Amino acid sequence: MTMTEIKQRHWEDVSVDELLDGYSLELTWTKMAEQVSGSQDFYPVHHDPDFARAGGHEDIFYNTGFTRAALCRLLTDWHGPQGWLRKLSFQMRKMHMPDDTIRVKGTVTAVREGEDGMGEVDIDLWIENDRVGIATPAEATVLLPRSTG
Amino acid sequence: MSDDYDIEAVRKEWIGTKSELRAGRYPVEYDPIRRHCQMVGDTNPLFLDPEYAAAGKWGEVVAPPVMVDYFAGNGAWPRMEEADATRGVPTRGDRAINLNTDWEFLKPIKVGDRLSRQTEVVDVYEKPIRLDPKAVWTVTETSIYNQDGDLVAVGRNTLLRHRTPEEVAADPESQQQEAAR
Repeated sequence: MTMTEIKQRHWEDVSVDELLDGYSLELTWTKMAEQVSGSQDFYPVHHDPDFARAGGHEDIFYNTGFTRAALCRLLTDWHGPQGWLRKLSFQMRKMHMPDDTIRVKGTVTAVREGEDGMGEVDIDLWIENDRVGIATPAEATVLLPRSTG
Repeated sequence: MSDDYDIEAVRKEWIGTKSELRAGRYPVEYDPIRRHCQMVGDTNPLFLDPEYAAAGKWGEVVAPPVMVDYFAGNGAWPRMEEADATRGVPTRGDRAINLNTDWEFLKPIKVGDRLSRQTEVVDVYEKPIRLDPKAVWTVTETSIYNQDGDLVAVGRNTLLRHRTPEEVAADPESQQQEAAR
């Protein structure tokens, strides 16, 4: 396995409006299977198109476990090995469905001094796809060390 | 189909109820973390590489914080009936959509930790959605503790349950509400 060498980010180096470029994922059928494996969420609306359509949905849609994992990856990659994800809130307003390509991105909205010599950074982040735009708006607070730590 | 569902009675019976504090079935383990990371292409060595993690801030592989309730639960198999708050609230339909989630993460969860959870029903209400004019929404708050009794995370979740289109069609009152919208 090739693992990401995650860089440490420091509080003093972060500014409001800084973009978290993030990453994309194609929601192939293999990804759908990984979603079920990774979340262990076997509710059929997330893997059985007939079940989803009988419930009134256009197709299956990706579950909460996948959604929060995608948001968490952006934040934990960004804050680095000494950082900490303190808060994460998200709303699943629209759905991510098969054949969508999702993009996970964010923007820094506030930077302030926190407890224990750490800095606190507020981030607006989201998951979007081409079919519906931003489907999953989210907010997070992460803690970052000082460079002079 | 007559609709004898009484939201006020459900609210009165369920809001404020708490599950017992229950331990997750297994400790925090490597392999579920690996599968979690695989689904979103996460290659963070803090979650995946014991050697790297041992030399890091936490001294051990940690789970992504959002997995906290996974390890405080029983998992999908073998099936275990849970009489806890999230599963007990009566609803009209049995189709579920999870909507909003808020977590505060207070401590890292490391491989080997044993987590426990307690869930409280904080609200139940009716609110229409496109699929069902009488969908029932449930808000719960879950506190998760480690083996030392430390609170490691607090989460708030909003989930709705709705009926299938066929069930809605069989409810004359819902049809009238839909026509009036």
